[in-house]
Amino acid sequence: MIFDVAAQSLASKSALLPIEQLFGDCTASRMPEVVAGRLNYELACKAAAVCPTQALRLSEEDGCRRLMLDYGKCTGCGRCIEAGGGALRAAATGVPCGVTRAALLRCWNTDNGSEIAFDEASPDSIARQIRSLLGRALNIRQVDAGSCNGCEAEIGALTSPYYDLERFGIHFVASPKHADMLLVTGPVARNMEQALRRTYEATPSPKLVVAVGACGCSGGIFHGSYAVSGAIDAVIPVDGHIPGCPPTPAMLLTGILNVLKGKQVRSYE
Amino acid sequence: MSAPVSSSRSSGGIADALALLKAGNCRLVSIFGSIDDDGSRCVHYLLDTEKREYRLYSGQVQGALPSVTAITPAAAWYEREIHDLYGIAIEGHPNLQPLVFHEDWPEGAHPRPAIANAGAAGEYRFLKVEGEGVCEVPVGPVHAGIIEPGHFRFSVVGDTVLHLELHHFYTHKGTEALMEGRQVPDGSMLAESISGDNCFAHAVTYCQAVENAFGISVPPRGRALRLIGLELERMLAHIGDFGALCGDVAFSVPAAYTARLKESLLRVSADCTGTRFWRGLCRPGGMQYDLPAEKLRALADCVAETARDFAELAQKCLETPSIQNRFETTGILHRDLARSLCVVGPVARASGLRLDVRRDHPYGRYRTFALEVPSHSAGDVMARARIRTQETQISARLIAHAIEEMPSGAVRISIPWQASAEGFSAVESPRGELLYYLRINEGRIRRCHIKSPSFQNWPALPLAMPGNIIADFPLINKSFNLSYSGCDR
Repeated sequence: MIFDVAAQSLASKSALLPIEQLFGDCTASRMPEVVAGRLNYELACKAAAVCPTQALRLSEEDGCRRLMLDYGKCTGCGRCIEAGGGALRAAATGVPCGVTRAALLRCWNTDNGSEIAFDEASPDSIARQIRSLLGRALNIRQVDAGSCNGCEAEIGALTSPYYDLERFGIHFVASPKHADMLLVTGPVARNMEQALRRTYEATPSPKLVVAVGACGCSGGIFHGSYAVSGAIDAVIPVDGHIPGCPPTPAMLLTGILNVLKGKQVRSYE
Repeated sequence: MSAPVSSSRSSGGIADALALLKAGNCRLVSIFGSIDDDGSRCVHYLLDTEKREYRLYSGQVQGALPSVTAITPAAAWYEREIHDLYGIAIEGHPNLQPLVFHEDWPEGAHPRPAIANAGAAGEYRFLKVEGEGVCEVPVGPVHAGIIEPGHFRFSVVGDTVLHLELHHFYTHKGTEALMEGRQVPDGSMLAESISGDNCFAHAVTYCQAVENAFGISVPPRGRALRLIGLELERMLAHIGDFGALCGDVAFSVPAAYTARLKESLLRVSADCTGTRFWRGLCRPGGMQYDLPAEKLRALADCVAETARDFAELAQKCLETPSIQNRFETTGILHRDLARSLCVVGPVARASGLRLDVRRDHPYGRYRTFALEVPSHSAGDVMARARIRTQETQISARLIAHAIEEMPSGAVRISIPWQASAEGFSAVESPRGELLYYLRINEGRIRRCHIKSPSFQNWPALPLAMPGNIIADFPLINKSFNLSYSGCDR
């Protein structure tokens, strides 16, 4: 009976993952990264050629040939890893989550394989700042603006005993009127455009909007469809982007905390 | 599965299909449109005959198409979709309102603007229920939980629901049109993004359609790996659904426990394959890469442990009187209604229709298994919960068996895809019969139709509602667990 269920549950060992293990982890998203020193122009061409969403592309600036990687478009299909002859691998960390759209870009010099940095951030200070954020309450309203439900599956997993989002004071609420943050998935389907606008308007200010998944960041694989209006930021203002197809629970958590961090810095300015 | 594809484009194909549907001894699988190379409009009827054989009847349409909805109610949405997407007039349809396009749909946004009669779709009219004390309750498209968008319009007296009408297709993304023009190997990626929680079933069905079109047989090891992925996806879906049902009747401990079981399967998947949902693994011709024996052993162990823990939990839950009280006699879908709407999957099996593509039209590794297909006659939430518990155990056994008798050798065979061909394939996805029809022109997709089990089953949900209280709707809806994106595509 039901008390036996409770007993069975209590008897099982805790599955809870510590924050240190989750923050910044992007294992199993199959987002690629370049293996320093292994990249050359030929392999970069091969990898870019198989990318179905143009997340990987080649460019040339000041005579320097570059491989550009836009995580906002990447669906983690793994084809570049297969085609890249060891020059690319699945990233375990280092995929930016909860950042501006521009910060989802990474860039490598294809002649020597070295990364061309856009932005530097010290991981130590991030960890310190995250700890200072934990314990603050945050109410999230999740909005599906047309996703395939892959992102919903991973957002739902955040409330499982492995991640237990509530331990950080983060709750999913039933109404946009109770929300501090909208977590929005999907390319915006035309039939959802008005509902998304209205949900945004119904959320009291100050409010945060996070675009989730390749579709939310860039329209993803649905980019260009007659039935899709585009990425989330084509319809409502967005504070942070979490890439991935779908982003793993660890990436979602990292992104949500990073958006909070950015907002906290801004509110002190 | 051999793919009997009729290439006849005469109008006779339509007449044959209509005659078979009138005779009533076949099941409607799908109706879809296409445009021929000369610009003429075609309609295709896919039927499952008495002999458990898929048959495709095709024909060009001149003028209006006679509606079969009055004889086969399951045709209602298909005919409305053809009307929306191909501008084909349907004669005698009882309710030919726009299905896919909502009232604020922009003019000209259409896969085939030249033939479209779409544009501003006009106001959608809900059935008006009148009488003393009747209220309308609109719900959605943005719902309270972490779920997909759709609209439900209830007509109630007090708590009791008299009528429910669905207004869906909020997540319509024009996926079938997006497929057109893509190179054959790229189609599987889009297929994976049609219903994310069933992404592997979609990828396998797409790939099998390609393989059937070109008459290619996947190597045995590739077939076995696909079975493992498909059954794992079913376990995840069924365990998750069971937990959500418990959550909907306020039993949060089993809900949390199943969330934990689900996550353990996802984590072992990530460790075994590099991806939590087996995305990107299935490719036309087989699997993208092999999985090493020790990883498969770890997967087998986790599956066995999860199945054991889940069986114990489910039994305790279903023996609990307060759960029985909420599940039994709630949301009954009668067998006759299920049959006339050609309902598929666990919902059909819980209403006494013993249908399962794995047994009726076996494919891949399933050809060599004698599959056990449970069914229940009650058609209520309890029956749908029981089906899911039983099928989880069957899936676990299939996985164990497939890993135990894993063939060696290649997992993929190359496909001469840069040719022209036509084919289809069906798979028993966690939600039921999923079917892809493909026409390929010199290596590029010319037409791709996706018959999704959710598109088929959604119209049945409102028929399980009358007489139930509105507070039981989340429970009944969850017991059907249909995909919005899979339906809307």
